[in-house]
Formats: sequence, C-alpha cells, structure tokens
Amino acid sequence: MSRLLVVFLSVMLGSAIAHSDYHIPNLGEKATEFKDEGKEAHKREGMSHAASLILQRKMHPELLLHKRDKTLRQGVRGGYAQLKECVECHTSVDKNGEHVPINAPDQFCATCHEKVGTSLDCFSCHRTTPAEEL
Amino acid sequence: MKELNRREFIKNSTAVTASVATVASGISLTTFAAGPKETDPVTNEKRWGMLIDTNKLTEVDIEDMVSACQEEHGWGEETHSTGDQKPGWIKKVKVKDTATQRISNLALMCQHCEEPPCVDVCPTNASMKREDGIVLVDKHRCIGCRYCMMACPYDARSFVHEDLSNQKEHMPRGKGTVESCTLCVHKVDKGEQPACVEALNSDAVVFGDLLDPTSNIHQTLKRVQSTQIRADLNLNTGVRYSGI
Amino acid sequence: MSIIRYEQTQGKSLGFYALIAGLGAFILAALGSVYFMEHSGHHVTGMSNRIVWGLPHVFALFLIVAASGALNIASIASVFNKKIYKPLSRLSGLVALALLAGGLMVLVLDLGRPDRLIVAMTEYNFESIFAWNIILYNGFFLIVGVYLWMMFERRMNKYSRKVGIAAFTWRLILTTGTGSIFGFLVARQAYDAVIMAPMFVVMSFAFGLAFFVLVLMASYKWTERALGDAIVNRLSNLLGVFVAAVLYFVAVYHLGNLYLAENSGVENFILMDGGIYTQLFWYGQIILGGLLPLALLYSPATKGNRSMLGLASVLVILGGLAQLYVIIIGGQAYPMELFPGKEILEGYGTIAAYTPTLPELMLGLGGIAVALIAITYLVKFLPFLPESLADHVADPHHKN
Repeated sequence: MSRLLVVFLSVMLGSAIAHSDYHIPNLGEKATEFKDEGKEAHKREGMSHAASLILQRKMHPELLLHKRDKTLRQGVRGGYAQLKECVECHTSVDKNGEHVPINAPDQFCATCHEKVGTSLDCFSCHRTTPAEEL
Repeated sequence: MKELNRREFIKNSTAVTASVATVASGISLTTFAAGPKETDPVTNEKRWGMLIDTNKLTEVDIEDMVSACQEEHGWGEETHSTGDQKPGWIKKVKVKDTATQRISNLALMCQHCEEPPCVDVCPTNASMKREDGIVLVDKHRCIGCRYCMMACPYDARSFVHEDLSNQKEHMPRGKGTVESCTLCVHKVDKGEQPACVEALNSDAVVFGDLLDPTSNIHQTLKRVQSTQIRADLNLNTGVRYSGI
Repeated sequence: MSIIRYEQTQGKSLGFYALIAGLGAFILAALGSVYFMEHSGHHVTGMSNRIVWGLPHVFALFLIVAASGALNIASIASVFNKKIYKPLSRLSGLVALALLAGGLMVLVLDLGRPDRLIVAMTEYNFESIFAWNIILYNGFFLIVGVYLWMMFERRMNKYSRKVGIAAFTWRLILTTGTGSIFGFLVARQAYDAVIMAPMFVVMSFAFGLAFFVLVLMASYKWTERALGDAIVNRLSNLLGVFVAAVLYFVAVYHLGNLYLAENSGVENFILMDGGIYTQLFWYGQIILGGLLPLALLYSPATKGNRSMLGLASVLVILGGLAQLYVIIIGGQAYPMELFPGKEILEGYGTIAAYTPTLPELMLGLGGIAVALIAITYLVKFLPFLPESLADHVADPHHKN
C-alpha cells in the first residue's frame, strides 16, 4: 500500500513539475516580429486565433504530412503548410547575423521535440535555414 | 459494476475518438483567412520528355549541362565520398561504335521511363512516377535499401553516402537515401525548363510535353530519327536521343 | 521404434559461458560497426553507387538462404516420412529460425535508414519482389514457430505433418523469392536468368545442411551426448548429393549464359579474366566449396570420418560465401550493357572497384554470431535436442 502511495505521489509531483516547466519556445525572428506587431499567425476561418494556434501546435505533423505527400507525389504546389515557410519565420539570427539551424538545441523545433522525446526527421534532408537571398 | 465501467469507458473513448476525427476532417475544410492557393494535382494528360541531339551537342555543352545540374540541386560538393561514391545525377558519356569507329558524346541521366524498373522493385513505394511521367524518389519513405539502383538499367541513381547540410530549399537531400535526376520538377511545375536545358539554350536539347501535338519536342520527334537507350527493354523512356 | 526423449542442455559449463562470451564479443563488434557506418554514412564502407550491395549482403543472403535449407531435415521427416530424421526436426526448425534472424539483422542494419524499418513494414509495394520477401520472411517466422509448437506439444503432434507440409511449401517459395531478387533484374547481364530461383533453392539445401551438421555435431560433442553413425552417415550422404546438385546448377547457369552472345562479356569476366572474382569462383566456389567437400564425403579414405564431415561442412559454407560474393559483387562489378555494339570510352563502363572494409565484415560475422547465440541459448531453455541419438535409439533396424 505504501509503495502505491509513493508511486502515486511521484506521478503527481512529476506532472506538477512538468506543468510548471511549460514555457513558450523560441519563436524565431520573423515570427516574433509578426507577433509583436499584433498580427494573427496561423489564423483559420471560423476559429478564434487562440484555437487556431492550439490546432497548429497539436496538428502540425498531420498538416505537414498531408501536404508533403500531395506535393511530392501529385505535384500540388503552393498553399498552406510548406516546410520552407516554417523555416522562413521560425529561425533565429545569431550575433553575427547568421541564421541558426531551426533544429539546433533551443531553437524553435528542437525545444518541444526534445522535451517530449519525439524524433525530428524533417531536417535529415530539408534545409534548416531560410534560403540565401539571391 | 466493473464490467459496466469498462463498457462505459469504451463507449466514452469511442465518442472522443469520433469527435476528434470529426474535428480533424473539419480542419482540412477550414480555410485560411489569407494564403496562396494550391495548384491542382498533375495529370497524365501531359508526359514530360527530353530529346538530346548528340550531333549538335559538343563536349563543352555536356559539361555545362552537368554543372548547371550541380548548381541547381547542390550535388557534387560531398567531401567524404570517394570515387564511385560521389553522386552523379547526370554524366557525360562518350561512346565509340565498334564497327564504324564513330564517336558520339551524350548526357546520361534518369530516363524517366514509362515502365520504370526502379518503381517496380521499390519495397516501400518510395520510388514513384508522377502522373505526368516524372520519376522521383520520395525520400520520406526511402529506407536506403538500394534495390532501385540494382534495377536501374541506366546507372542513373546515387546513394547519399555522407551527412549533408545547407541543401537547396527546393531539393532536400540526405544521408542514407537514394536520389536522381528529378527533371527539375520544381521548375517544371512553375512552367520553366529543367536547369540543364536552360543552361544550354540551343536546339541540341529540347524539353516539353511528348503528348502535346503542338509542342516542339513532339514535332521534332516526328521529323527526326531518334532512339531510346536500351530500347530492347521496352521501358518507353521519356528521354530520347538522336545521332547515336 | 523406441521413444525419443528430448532434454535441455545444461548450459552451466565453462565452455558454455566461453562460447556465449565469444559470440557476444562478435555481436558487440557488429553493433559498433553499425553505429560507425550509420553515423558517418556509407562512405566509410567499400560500397558505392556502382557496388550498391556489398559484403553485408553476401552474409545476409547466405544466412537467409541457409535458413530455409536448415528446415529441410524437419521436412524430410514430416513431409517425406523418413522416421530417422524425426528426432532432428526440432533442432532443424530452431536452426532455421536462428539463421533467418541473423540474416535479417544484417540486411536491416545495412539499410541507409534502418530507423525507418517501420516504413518497410507498413508501406508495401506488391509489385516489388523485395516487399514479397518481407512478407515471406515474417511468414517463415510464424509458420516455423507454429511448426515447432506442434512438435513440442504432445497433443498437437498429430498436426505436425500438415504444418510441416505448409512450412516446406513456404520455404520453397521463400528461397524462390530470394533468388528472384536477382533473377528479375533485367538490366544486369549477370542476373537476368530465371534459373537463379531454382539455383538458390538448391544452394539453400547445401548451405543449410552444412550449417545444421556443424551445429548438430558440435552440440552433441560438447554436451557429451551419444550421436550414432546411422544419422551422421545419412546426413553426410545427403550433403554430398546437395553439393553435387549445386555444382550442376552452376554449370547449367554458366553454360546457358555462354550460349547467349550478349552475356559472353560478363561470363568471360567471371570465368576468365575477372581477377578476384575469377579466383573466388574457381578456387573458392568450385574447388573449395564443391569438389573438395565431395572428395571428403565420398572418398573411401575419409568417408565416415566425423572430422572430415565437419571439414567438408565448413568448406561448403566458405564456398557458399564465395559463391554469393561472386554472384552479388562480381555481378555488379561488371558494367551493364548500355549501348550494344558500342564501346564506352568515358563516363561509364569500367569494372567497378570494391574493397570490403572491416565494419562490413564485422556486421556480416555478427549475423552468424546472432544465429549461433540464439541456438546456444534456446537449446538450454527448451528441449530441442534428444538426449541420445545413438544408433539403437535413432534407428533400431540399423546394422553395422
């Protein structure tokens, strides 16, 4: 019985810590500007901005997955959910004015992915910084 | 009581799953306040192809085509791969007829077959052919088994033997997957020509829709004699050659 | 017929732990090699865009082919009703499963993206022979597992013949599928031949039996159990027949290829001037792996001698590895015929170079070690081995 209690308490404690540990990840340079200007990113019709953001946060893998197959296999171009757009807005710039790879530790993608322990496979092939200006 | 609980639990969780599914399917219907529109999927009303006239093609031309391809897709700067490990999406091949001693030079790349052996053998459907005839590797699904490279009659595919970074935005490439000529699908979808064709800008290489009777390539193919490499395999390639 | 009693091995001796430790070391070395290869990329191997399948695939295909062959002993007992092989059925099923596990491990760990194995299990292209093979391998595990259960569980014994027939059919299809991985590659002169499939089946008979004989003799010697000549001599004869059959198929395959002018180039390469491949073919595959074992098995001076049977089995295995090396790597090294009637001066058409590296070798040996460690452990935990295979137990009618 006492053992059960210990397990129960540690689970409670763990979830409390996990909760208090929540913080907004490094949004990246353009996304931060966008937010500071008061613009509503990822806003969907018929949904509040807050709800749209939650949806984006929860479902970005599904959205990207769906689009990726359409683009590559059927040749559907343009539209929402393009990985290069994610990278474009959510990368940061370091002191030297260079873009930091979005999957680097403490950057936009890595923050959450490391915390929840899910692999981040996009960038084993995709470019991690916005394309160089031509 | 316990039994009831379990049943209730199943009922409830089904309801939750169903509502999640409804929300999820609703999402694809929810549109964005602003954003670019998606294009329609490509269809088999088009079949992209290329005609390479080796009589008009100089060796320098072919080298230009190769470097244009490297520039466009960012291959060829691998530092660790040696010899045959280096990628070669397009290469210059020089052949001599054993009877007549006639020498011709040609650019060899993925021939974008109508019946591609690489697509037949791929266990995961990563090797695929788009409706408009462009043969691609879906690197999201490629497990790096290299069976497609065994099956390709044209030695057209390369395996990425090392870690890469700083890829081109339109051309993701990564260690452990197979890659080959995409016929510059990202440009073709925008209505442009493949990089190697643009680099040459002469009538030695014609690119276009093989099925369109008004296209330059369709009419040229009607007029001049042309061949497919390994025509005996009946693969009906999208890339054709004349003068060999 | 006397009742056969099966018993676990003790597995407490110093020798047992030494064996486990030795095999474990090989497995660790293999895992280290995999980490090195996957972390750096395949540039650290000898494989390239021309030799896309290298030494790991030689070992992997050898083990997979041998796996289906090792099941033959059980099949002879249950399908063809040869009672003398019956006591060996359980071990036969075990060796088959262990070899397949080892082979698949090597195959999977050499993938460019082994982390995506789940994709291979969920995305099937049913036109791909490779995808069929994935199904065939998984099915083999299942069907041989059920087969073993039927043999172990007394009340299920009555079904063992039916399941045995199913397993036998399945293994024939499996090896046909493995051979067809090469047989259907129309573009490559060395492979495009339907005979590849039956040749792989016969190769599996020989390699699988050789492996089985070694496992059997070693386990009976090390556990100090009786193993009579009645069984050993039969296995020895059987091995001889299979080795001869492989030689026959190899001869038909090459003669058939020589007859076609379009394939004379690659035939010349393998048989005459292919350097290492020619040497491996003649010295490795034909002499060491074929003629010498036949001589050892049949010549009056060595016939019936267990050490010589063991040596013959080792030679058959080495010859088999040489044969697969020649088929897989030799077949790729010779360039494809891109322009019939033309000579390629530049850009393609040279003989591709391949030097296997240590990590590739260790990965391949690791596959064999996995198979052996699985056998060693499982005979300790389950009664696979009859406590005695002395002549009067195995074959009461045996006369010396």
